[in-house]
Amino acid sequence: MDKRIDRRTFLKFSSAGIASALLGSTGLLSWIPRAEAATISQTFYITEGFITQPDGVDVYFRGYSPSTNNLTVPGAQMIVQEGDTVRITIVNTLGTSHSFKIDGVVDSGRIYGGQTKTIEFQVNKAGTYMYYDARNAPYNRLVGLHGGFAVMPKGSSNEVYDGSPTFVQQHFWLFHDIDPVWHNSIRNRRTPGTTYSPRYFTINGLSGRPPGSTGNGDPSVDAMHDPLSALHGHVGDRTLLRVLNAGMCQQSVHTHGNHMDWLTDNGQIRDDIWSKDCIYLEGNMGKFDAIFPFDPPPDAHPPVSTGVYPMHLHTEMSQTAGGGLYMFGALTDIFFE
Amino acid sequence: MGMRRTTTTDTTTTDGGGMDGGGDGGGMGGMGGACYIYPAAPATPGLTNADVTFNLGIDMQIPLTMDDGNTVNMWGFTDGGGNMGMDGGGMGGGTFPSPAMRVTEGDIVHSNLNVGMMWVHTIHHHGIEPEYRSDGVGHLSHDVANGTYTYQWRPAHAGTYFYHCHTNTVLHAEMGMYGALIVDPPEGAGTLFSGGPSYDVEAFWVVDEIDSSWHNLPWDAGTCGGDVGLNELNPDYFVITGVDGSGNSAMNLPPISATVQRGQKLLARYICAGYHPQKIRFGGLSGKIYASDGRPLPKPVSVTEIRAASAERYDIIFEPTERGTYLIETDIIHWVTGEVLGTTRTSITVT
Repeated sequence: MDKRIDRRTFLKFSSAGIASALLGSTGLLSWIPRAEAATISQTFYITEGFITQPDGVDVYFRGYSPSTNNLTVPGAQMIVQEGDTVRITIVNTLGTSHSFKIDGVVDSGRIYGGQTKTIEFQVNKAGTYMYYDARNAPYNRLVGLHGGFAVMPKGSSNEVYDGSPTFVQQHFWLFHDIDPVWHNSIRNRRTPGTTYSPRYFTINGLSGRPPGSTGNGDPSVDAMHDPLSALHGHVGDRTLLRVLNAGMCQQSVHTHGNHMDWLTDNGQIRDDIWSKDCIYLEGNMGKFDAIFPFDPPPDAHPPVSTGVYPMHLHTEMSQTAGGGLYMFGALTDIFFE
Repeated sequence: MGMRRTTTTDTTTTDGGGMDGGGDGGGMGGMGGACYIYPAAPATPGLTNADVTFNLGIDMQIPLTMDDGNTVNMWGFTDGGGNMGMDGGGMGGGTFPSPAMRVTEGDIVHSNLNVGMMWVHTIHHHGIEPEYRSDGVGHLSHDVANGTYTYQWRPAHAGTYFYHCHTNTVLHAEMGMYGALIVDPPEGAGTLFSGGPSYDVEAFWVVDEIDSSWHNLPWDAGTCGGDVGLNELNPDYFVITGVDGSGNSAMNLPPISATVQRGQKLLARYICAGYHPQKIRFGGLSGKIYASDGRPLPKPVSVTEIRAASAERYDIIFEPTERGTYLIETDIIHWVTGEVLGTTRTSITVT
């Protein structure tokens, strides 16, 4: 748990434990359906700091963090169920105004610098959502104020919507792209005036660290081994992917090893489920749900049931950091165990 | 445009050229500046006799002349390449795009990639899902350097795929290191997939953008760090199946363009080979998507245009009923701004 915080924490911060039942300690969002609706409480501290990118550059971010002395980008993944009441307390530790919004669900309105505000809302529609700061759009979202939010169908542990194909485990893949010039403008409370030029690309806040590089295999920095991002499964462990895009760039999400069953597109249940190896992810909060089936890789000869494959964005500019460093971008690995 | 293939009919045929990797697979000659590459020469797991064998080499000097008279250097795979480690300067024999592979569902296929000592490459058969060491992803298996490696795969699903290099992919695929990969059903060409539609004429729309400012970079550009601009693809040329598509060069050039009689069925295999998103429009014709990414759709979908993301493939059947010439235009759209950066053009003529 500490690693999850350390890695997204600028050096000046010390890590702190999270006492939230909403945060999975592994990549698996463990979920036990309840017969009764519950009230789920979560406190976020809006904080700021710097996060070191793969090329060593420190980039300014703000985050929905678990404590005042911490910076977490993206914010903690949340999973609730239909009918639940969600009570979010936002402690804005900064001098700038912010907000907490889930499109179609809740909008906190303006939360002034130094203000603490609690909002309470009921969730009624299963699906995959992003919570984010809608003020000063899109800048406050881009600078790091976003996170994944999922509503499970009432009483269900294995569907993304009522009657959907089922899964046995689920992950968020929250992609982001980062222009440090824009982040610096936001830090200085100026509206970015330059053409957007993303230089870093992340999945769930991390970038790849290929074998031989510093940090390879360290789940606190390496997206290939981050338990929130990397998929681990045996044949048959159908895995729901809740895919969200906090960044500006349109992406192509590509899995090796298996095609994905494409269930929803920007919140709409698709008429038919297509089996795709690349799925179009729109920029500016595009989203989709898909299931990675963990079927035996179909084209292996002789047949196999184990191996390791990548997921990467096929918009290959997103596989770089700082204009080079291929494989230090938004990708992770898929382990057939 | 197809690649020569060896169809094995006996059990003793060996695959072309040095599949043991040619000895010093870790050889780094000329590669001193590269980082995070994984040269090795392992044996192919489960190697067995192939039904079909492709031998591929490397060509790093493929001039592509554009409509404005300028020439852009492309890289590609060559048809051949059995001279173990001796493709040397990588000159000659290459085309853009690389030669198409065409196989039949259920074939055991060998793609023998021969790479000289000056650089490192792989083949990833995109959409094909083989044993991971035949998947061509260096950081999870190895890159091919100074030798030959046999990628073994057995396609289970008929459809449209492509193959491309997966080393420093952002650069190598942009440089043109890709080719079409068609898997026919057991019924053979003329049927899209078993139980699927038949077709009389076939067109190949492989749409890509080129940023010529990337085309003087070395194969390992950026791998050790430093800003070589690979986060910004600002294309100045737009190609369809290897031809400058911004003017008229591809308008009447089968199998990019197509001529069909009324009553015939045209299959267009559309591959979004660029990185920026695309939108393809059919000039007033309506087509039916029967398959995408090498998988049949549960229900065919009638469309007059398709939006596609990088590396998606769509198989569209046209059954035109009206004589005429229909303009097929593909916009290449900036991944952030949505601006149309360029458009490729070809045509369908209905007689």
